[in-house]
Amino acid sequence: MYKTLRISFSLKNTYRVNAILFALKQIPLIKKLLPDALYGVRGLKIFANILSVIWEILTFFLGKFLYFITLVCGIGILYKHAPADQVFLHILLLLTAVGAYMNNVMFDQSRDKYYAVILLRMNAREYTLVNFGYAMLKVLIGFLPFTILFGTDRGLPLWFCILLPFAIAGSKLAAAADILRDYEKKGKVYNESRVQKHLWMIAGLVLVLTYLPPALGFVFPAPAYMAVFLLFIPAGILCAWKIKTFRLYREMNQELLSQVTNQMDAVRQAQRKASDKSISTDVTIRSSRRGFEYLNDLFVKRHRKILWKSSLRLSGICLALSCGAVAALLLYPEAQAEINRMVLEWLPYFLFIMYAVNRGTGFTKALFMNCDHSLLTYPFYKQPDCILKLFRIRLREIMKVNAVPAAIIGAGLSAILYVSGGTENPLNYVVLFVSILCMSLFFSIHYLTIYYLLQPYNAGTEIKSGMYQVIMSATYLVCLFLMNLRMPILVFGTACIAFCVLYSIVACILVYRYAPRTFRLRM
Amino acid sequence: MKFIIEHMEKHFEKKEVLRDIDFVFEEGKIYGLLGRNGAGKTTLFNCINRDIKSDGGSFYLEEDGVKKEVKAEDIGYVLSTPTVPEFLTGREFLKFFLDINGDAVGEQKSLDEYFDFMSIAPEDRDKLMKDYSHGMKNKMQMLVNIVAKPKILLLDEPLTSLDVVVAEEMKQLLRTLKDGRITIFSTHIMDLALDLCDVIVLLAHGELEVVEKSNLDNGEFKEKIIAALREEDHV
Repeated sequence: MYKTLRISFSLKNTYRVNAILFALKQIPLIKKLLPDALYGVRGLKIFANILSVIWEILTFFLGKFLYFITLVCGIGILYKHAPADQVFLHILLLLTAVGAYMNNVMFDQSRDKYYAVILLRMNAREYTLVNFGYAMLKVLIGFLPFTILFGTDRGLPLWFCILLPFAIAGSKLAAAADILRDYEKKGKVYNESRVQKHLWMIAGLVLVLTYLPPALGFVFPAPAYMAVFLLFIPAGILCAWKIKTFRLYREMNQELLSQVTNQMDAVRQAQRKASDKSISTDVTIRSSRRGFEYLNDLFVKRHRKILWKSSLRLSGICLALSCGAVAALLLYPEAQAEINRMVLEWLPYFLFIMYAVNRGTGFTKALFMNCDHSLLTYPFYKQPDCILKLFRIRLREIMKVNAVPAAIIGAGLSAILYVSGGTENPLNYVVLFVSILCMSLFFSIHYLTIYYLLQPYNAGTEIKSGMYQVIMSATYLVCLFLMNLRMPILVFGTACIAFCVLYSIVACILVYRYAPRTFRLRM
Repeated sequence: MKFIIEHMEKHFEKKEVLRDIDFVFEEGKIYGLLGRNGAGKTTLFNCINRDIKSDGGSFYLEEDGVKKEVKAEDIGYVLSTPTVPEFLTGREFLKFFLDINGDAVGEQKSLDEYFDFMSIAPEDRDKLMKDYSHGMKNKMQMLVNIVAKPKILLLDEPLTSLDVVVAEEMKQLLRTLKDGRITIFSTHIMDLALDLCDVIVLLAHGELEVVEKSNLDNGEFKEKIIAALREEDHV
């Protein structure tokens, strides 16, 4: 047993350490400093090991803490119609019941389990028992501080708070035994990583029961909940016997893990399938153009679903929202002053919205997956003038796709501004409209430029450029940061327009200069 | 016409993959490029195709004693895993290709003539290529690569995963195509190399070297090649 524990730990740790090192190798700049053979470097290994241990310790507490702070107590605080201790017990009990099945640990499909049981042919029973035991230990230790902290705060007796983690562990033991018994009877393995539809529905129902009754003030008396919790403890002890004597661990695990074999391939296949699916099979699609215009025309027509259709749907929603807002302002004039102030000050907020509604990332992804991925292997496609010609066509196309919702948002905002009382400076309307259009233009150019300059994918359609990831995240963070800015339209709008124009010029120069060299499949 | 590579080098970090590639390929011949796994066959092709930059050396074409730079359109490169744009039909892809490369192709035949030539069935010509089988994708890729009559045709393990009928068709096709161009064909399958290629070239220790057949029969020749490839272990 001890040997199994040691091996499964070191296996999990090796897996995690290598994942950390792999992640390090993806970071730009740092990756240049690291040797290719980094998996053999002692110092790095020790560093990654330390991170791995810290992570393991964090997993003891972090998840449980978040669980309590949000799902159990966070939402619980909102309920004013029922006593805090009863609400706490009600929510915790029902979530525990769901978690016992949906987050049982024994029946999940993890990679390290696959390596251990299938590839290394470890004793499945020992492996399962040791790891399940460890998981239960984590439950006990991880929950204890929070049940005491939050439980006593809700007025529950200390002895009960100390017993709570045992009750939660007991519920998992009981659920595991129940599932094992079911497996013996029906021979069908339960996979908690891929729960069936009807189970999701039951879980959804329980969640409704968890959060709805307390909101309506309907809860049972605290002793009732406590009694059920306490019953879990002997139930768990009794069921532990079943878990110990169950004989079919090897068969069950083999069945459970058989689907993991090609998990990586499955992910890629799923991606492939998704991009295949985005291609319209409508046989009436034709194009009368020539050359690159022909290619682009067919591409856009066959990807209507992810380009025009979604853009138009978005435009429709924006139009409806704008009309709704205008109507509301006319119906409730008392809100006008406040809204007027908001529109005049909140333009930075719309940078984030424009970021969110932009189709650029979907466009570049589809471009690669369904088009460039293959065409980049043909020499004629990589000639500088071809690359640039196609870049121009694509830029025009994505700008058009994004401009429609942008124009509607811009016009909608101007209308809201007008209805809510207007502004003394008519230039505000113009700047508002133009700056929103410019934002959309900016994102269109931004994504396409980054795609052409970094071309982050390799032939296997994996993203190979850390820089690309960094820029994508940075774009998000900048937009998020600017969202909190409050600035008059004229100031932010003009700055925005100037920036977008400047950026577009620089981006185009960069693409013209460098893309013929950078627009290649990564090796 | 000759295709000349002079002292080409390529290394990845400290690993020297191509040490000193120095070779003259001649028109009208099919060269069988043999090498162990990881010997650098694909790297060599990628360098010639300029997908990756070599670290040193040069390559060029020589026609009637005049040196010429190798342009992108001079090279056809058929990969072992065929890649075709999934959102186009075979016919659309070919039309697009001819639109772009009209000059290089010269006198054009009708699209269906090309498909006939490649034995692509009429009912498949207007299907989206995402629904093509492996063999059909391979044929499409081959077709697009040969239509423009490249001077150098690089084939990276092109027949390995094809069914026997398509493989035989492709072999025949390559034989008919070899005149007027240089065909370099990388493979692991010795019999295929012996059957199809005029010259067997080994890539070992980062260098290219011809294996002379002289007066050996096929069996002896095979053993000689294997012995030469095996030597690499002792370096």
